Amino acid sequence: MNVFSKVLVANRGEIAVRVVQTLQAMGIATAVVYSDPDSNAPHVALADEAFALGGSTVEETYLDRRKIVDLALRCGAEAVHPGYGFLSENPGFCKDCIEAGLVFIGPRPETIALLGDKIRSKETAVQAGVPLVPSSPVWQPGESNLDNLSSGIGFPLLVKASAGGGGRGMRVVERVQDLEQALESANREAASAFGDGRVFLERYIPTARHVEFQILADSEGNTIHLFERECSVQRRYQKVIEETPSQALNDDLRKRMASAAVAMAESAAYTNAGTVEFLVDALTGEYFFLEMNARIQVEHPITEETVKLDMVELQTRIAAGENVRLSQENIRPVGHALECRVYAEDPYANFTPSTGRLLAWRPPSGMGIRLDSGVTEGQEVTTYYDSMLAKLVSWGPDREESIGRMLGALKSFPVLGVTTNIPFLLQALVHPDFVSGKYDTGFIDKNSGLTSSLSVSQLSGVATGIADRIWQSNGNSSVSRRGAPVQTLQSPWQGLPKSTFP
Amino acid sequence: MAFDSSLMPDLEVTSALPNRWEGTVLLDGNRSVPFLAYREGQQVYVWISGESYVFTPASPTNARSSRTDQSASDEIICPVPGVVIAIQVAVGDMVEAGQELVVIESMKTEQIIKSPRDGTIERVSVQEGDRVDRGMRLVVLTSVAETE
Repeated sequence: MNVFSKVLVANRGEIAVRVVQTLQAMGIATAVVYSDPDSNAPHVALADEAFALGGSTVEETYLDRRKIVDLALRCGAEAVHPGYGFLSENPGFCKDCIEAGLVFIGPRPETIALLGDKIRSKETAVQAGVPLVPSSPVWQPGESNLDNLSSGIGFPLLVKASAGGGGRGMRVVERVQDLEQALESANREAASAFGDGRVFLERYIPTARHVEFQILADSEGNTIHLFERECSVQRRYQKVIEETPSQALNDDLRKRMASAAVAMAESAAYTNAGTVEFLVDALTGEYFFLEMNARIQVEHPITEETVKLDMVELQTRIAAGENVRLSQENIRPVGHALECRVYAEDPYANFTPSTGRLLAWRPPSGMGIRLDSGVTEGQEVTTYYDSMLAKLVSWGPDREESIGRMLGALKSFPVLGVTTNIPFLLQALVHPDFVSGKYDTGFIDKNSGLTSSLSVSQLSGVATGIADRIWQSNGNSSVSRRGAPVQTLQSPWQGLPKSTFP
Repeated sequence: MAFDSSLMPDLEVTSALPNRWEGTVLLDGNRSVPFLAYREGQQVYVWISGESYVFTPASPTNARSSRTDQSASDEIICPVPGVVIAIQVAVGDMVEAGQELVVIESMKTEQIIKSPRDGTIERVSVQEGDRVDRGMRLVVLTSVAETE
C-alpha cells in the first residue's frame, strides 16, 4: 500500500467536504485551504488542518497557485486534490504541484492542456473517430465578415468559449445581425472567467440531449467507462437535474457511445477519472462529441450510487500508482439515480442568484437519499462563489422510485433566509415531459410554466396566518388592524421589474 | 393579500424560541403538515410542507413598490448583486426596448440588463467596476411624460 499519508484539498464548498470525507475514510490526513468569507465553512471544520489563504476574491485565494502549493509543502502533504472548478483544469497548477514534488490527483498536465483547449481536443476526437458538431474557426475580435464565419453552420448557432466550461461565455444566436454583439459579450465573459477570450461558432441542435460517459483510466492505460449520465435539464447552460441511466439511449446507442468515449480517452492518453460529454440529437439519434472534462464532475454521485464505487477513492489510488485492476466486466450499474442541484437563486426571476444568511438549513434523510452539501445553518451565502449550495441525490431500484424518493426529500427540506430553486425542482420532476423521459436541453425554456410565478396554493393562506402569529407574539401588537396584518411576498424579488431581463 | 380569520391555522408548536417556531399545522381538520417560522428583523420567513414564504409588514412604501407598472418604469434597478463590467449607454442616448444597457457579472455569470422600453437615457448611476447590490438604481430613463 502506497497511498498518501496526507492530502491537501484545494477547493471549497460541497466538493471539498466530499473529498475530505473519502480521504478520512481511507485513513489519510486531510488539509484544506480557505478564503476569509469561508472561515466558518463546513470544509474548514471537517478537515484535520485548515489554512487561511488570506483575502476574499477567488484570484487571491482559491486561484492563487503559489499560495496553495506553498501551503501544501509546508503542511507536509504528499498530494493535492483539486476538486472541480478553480484550479482543477489548470495545467500550470498541475505542473507547479509536480515540480514541487507533490502528486496532483488527476490527469497529467499535458492531458489537461490538450483537453482544456476545445480546438485541440476536437482534433483528438477526430483521430479517435468520434463525430463532431460542425463548427467554425476562432473569431478574431474586429473581424467583420461574420457571414463567412457562420457559413456551413447556419442559424440558430452557438457562440462558445475556447477555454470554457459550465456554460460561461456561451450564447445562442438566432439572427446574423445579433452575432457581433454576442461574440463581443462572450469574448468578455470568457476573458474574465478563464483569462482566455477566444470564442468560436458551432451548430445549434434544438432538440439536443446532453449525455456524458464517466471514464476511469489507470496509469498503465487500462481504460474503462462507468456508463452514462444524462444532464439535459439545464438553465443558462448549467445543469440542474441529472439522471442515470439516460432515457435517451437504447442498448445499441449506449454501447456505441461508450466505445467512442473510451476511444476518446485512449486517444488523449488519459489517466485518472474524466468525463466525455456528448450531444445526442433526439430526432435523428446522432451523437456528437462536445468535450472531455479532465476532473471529477459535479454530478459524479449518481454514477457512484448506481455502480457502487467511490470515485474519489479511485482517483486517489490511481494517482498514487496503485494497481486498481479496472475491469469493464465488473461494472454493472444497479437501479436508477437522480441528482438535483440546490441553487441559491430565484427560479421565478430568471434564476437570479440570491444571497443572505441561511437562517434554517435542515437537510432531509431517508432510504436512498444522499446530500452532498457545502453549507451549514447560519452561514452567509455571498456573491463571491457559485450559487450551488448542495446536491441532493436519490437512488431507487427503478426510475419511478428514485423520482418518488427525490420528491419526498425535497418536500421535507426546509431552507429559510435564502431563496432556493427547490419549488422549481419539485415542479420539474412531476412535469409530464420529465416523467415520460422525453425531454431535451430546451426543457426549461419550452415549459415557461415552470418558471412563471407559483400559483397561490392553499398553504399560502396558512403561511400568512403563521407569520402573523409569530409577528404578534414577539411583543408586537398587530402591525395593523385585522384585515391586512402582513403583506405576502412569495419572493423578495417580486418588486423588481422582470422586464429588464432578456 | 386580504387576511381572512378563517385561515388562522390550528398550530401545534413543538419548539419555540422568541423568533423561531416549529411544529405542525392541522389542515382541513385532519391533515397535519410540518412548518418552520423565523422572525428576522422586519421579515418573517415561513416554510410549510415544501413551500417557502417571506413576509414583510404592510407599509405604504412596500405596497407601492411591489406593484409598479414595469414597462413604464423610469428607473432600471439592479436585479442581482455583483460587479458592473460594461456600460453600453451614455446620458442622452436614445434606446429601444430590449437594447443592452448594463452588463453585471454575478456569481461568474453575465447578466445583461436590457431596456424595458424605448426612451432616452437621463442618468447613468454606476461606473464600470462598481460592486452593486440588488435594488440599486443603474440607469434612469427620461420619463414618458417628459418625452412627449
